Amino acid sequence: MAVETLAAPASAADIEKHASLWSDAWHRLLANRLAMVGLAVIVLLILVAIFGPWMTPYDFLSQDLNARNELPNAAHWLGTDELGRDVLARVIYGARTALIVSLIVTAIAVAIGVTLGAIAGYAGGPLDSAIMWLTDMTMSVPNLLLAVVINASLKPPLTAWMDRMYQATLNPIWRNSLIVDFVLVFGAMALVSWPAYCRLVRAQVLSVRSRNYVTAARALGLPTRVILMRYIVPNAIGPLIVAVSAGLGAAMVLESAFSFLGVGVNPPAPSWGNMISDGLRVWRTYPHLLAAPAAVLGIATIAFSFLGDGLNDALNPKGRK
Amino acid sequence: MLRYIATRILIWIPSVVVLLLAIYALAFYGAGDPIKLIFLRAPGDVAFDPVRIEAIREQAGLNQPFLVQFANYIWKVLHGNFGNSLLSGRPVWKTVAAAAPISFQIGLLAILLTAIVAIPLGVLAALKQNSRLDYLIVSVSLFLWAIPAYVAGPLLMVLLIAILPGADIPYGWGGIFDPRIVLPLLVLSFQPIALITRQTRAAVIEIMSEDFVRTARAKGVPELVVAFKHIMRPVLTPVVTQLGLIMITLVNGAIFVEYVFGLPGLGRLTVQAILHNDYPIILAVTLIGVTVAMATNLIVDLLYPILDPRAGQGGR
Repeated sequence: MAVETLAAPASAADIEKHASLWSDAWHRLLANRLAMVGLAVIVLLILVAIFGPWMTPYDFLSQDLNARNELPNAAHWLGTDELGRDVLARVIYGARTALIVSLIVTAIAVAIGVTLGAIAGYAGGPLDSAIMWLTDMTMSVPNLLLAVVINASLKPPLTAWMDRMYQATLNPIWRNSLIVDFVLVFGAMALVSWPAYCRLVRAQVLSVRSRNYVTAARALGLPTRVILMRYIVPNAIGPLIVAVSAGLGAAMVLESAFSFLGVGVNPPAPSWGNMISDGLRVWRTYPHLLAAPAAVLGIATIAFSFLGDGLNDALNPKGRK
Repeated sequence: MLRYIATRILIWIPSVVVLLLAIYALAFYGAGDPIKLIFLRAPGDVAFDPVRIEAIREQAGLNQPFLVQFANYIWKVLHGNFGNSLLSGRPVWKTVAAAAPISFQIGLLAILLTAIVAIPLGVLAALKQNSRLDYLIVSVSLFLWAIPAYVAGPLLMVLLIAILPGADIPYGWGGIFDPRIVLPLLVLSFQPIALITRQTRAAVIEIMSEDFVRTARAKGVPELVVAFKHIMRPVLTPVVTQLGLIMITLVNGAIFVEYVFGLPGLGRLTVQAILHNDYPIILAVTLIGVTVAMATNLIVDLLYPILDPRAGQGGR
């Protein structure tokens, strides 16, 4: 009974404080011009990724061999490539690939990172040391190299396994090589991306854990789950949002880096990275094939960077003096 | 102090071994049979002769348990033997030894350029905090940090040709005094410059509000002397701690910069090895990248108590 009556007003006050924290942050973000530009670009990108196929008359695959390697013109705003495919359509479908990959990878990485970080921070002791050792080690390795090695070495066995499953079941789903691509690309990228979230959540948990109100909550006999959900997670969410917005941009870059190196999503599903690496071969004669995807990828990553920086200033007002 | 160094090294060694084990396991279970990989490239009757394949396997020690093979590999690596490239058949260490100096030269130049450009820019931005110049420096560094090397490199090349039609394309390697080095060096330095500029700026802003800086100013010490004598030294500490991260960005960046600009260094070697599934090379290059990055972290850990004497006492 006592717990109930004490907890109820506390949580109401909590919500009120949160509301003002969020609206404060929103106002600070609105005042940041660079961040708003970034946000606008990202919203545009999301809209294009969702509605893109209805915005262009061309398909990313359909070839027009009478219109090969055309420079940008009225019919093809960004020109066509060596197979006569519309570059704009490919860039638009590339936005889909980029967004899907970065969303899923970040979701997996956040899930791993938050779980491990919360465990490390809350449990302490040898478990904490072990998790932090793993985190430090993963962080101190050139992540691209590690991801590429993971991806390249797991591809043959996974492909072989899929093939065996197909032989056994004759279910065409096992023939879909896109599944291999996606599982590997997502897996390898998530495996190198989680440490940042883990560290952040652990630090938050550690700093909140020793606060008086958590001690009080524990003294009142609140279960660990409630303490975690009511006091610790809300405190960690601000920095986590900042980290996620930076992470989304980083995952997008990582995906295009994979495709650029030829270990990412396989063509014909277009990705900005493999468009850039294709364009690199012919850029002296057809610079638009290189410039278009490179410029779009550049704008997208910079937009995420500006928004992340603005969110950081907005959600951590203490950091800005 | 000695104890601090000993602990750092003791923590470092198992990390390196575990990492090597993980990478080796990936190659071991992932790549498939190296003998088959070799003969896939040179198909002949050997590939269809199981007896001969078995003999080669036995001779190469491929029938031993995983851990024995791993120990053998480490033993050979410690003696400088990385095996032979599947693609060219040449010893890996020769290929790597030809490529490594190029990457290291460019890497060192990039670090030098970063130090020369980024630290003054960061100090300048901090001293003029919230001015137009400060905003410019901060947003440009955000920009440089965000743009990947394989975007910046090609775009700069297109731009160069657009401005100077008929200009030489910066492609290939002619030593560090060749003008072709300028563009790749710039692109490789973008991210480290952005990182160090922002670090320096944040550190200077923090230190400027410290008591000893205020005291110096109150005593009437000239601004320049304050900047160099009181602010610079403590600023170097957070900058040096970023060295590990810089190393990682350089290793990652080299992969693309060397590929885009046709520099025959470790980065391009990596890309080619990945494209052709050349496992011995991938393993060797990954080992080098990981060792360089982790050794840098160790050095930073060892330097830290010298720069900031508080860290060495009583341990962290």
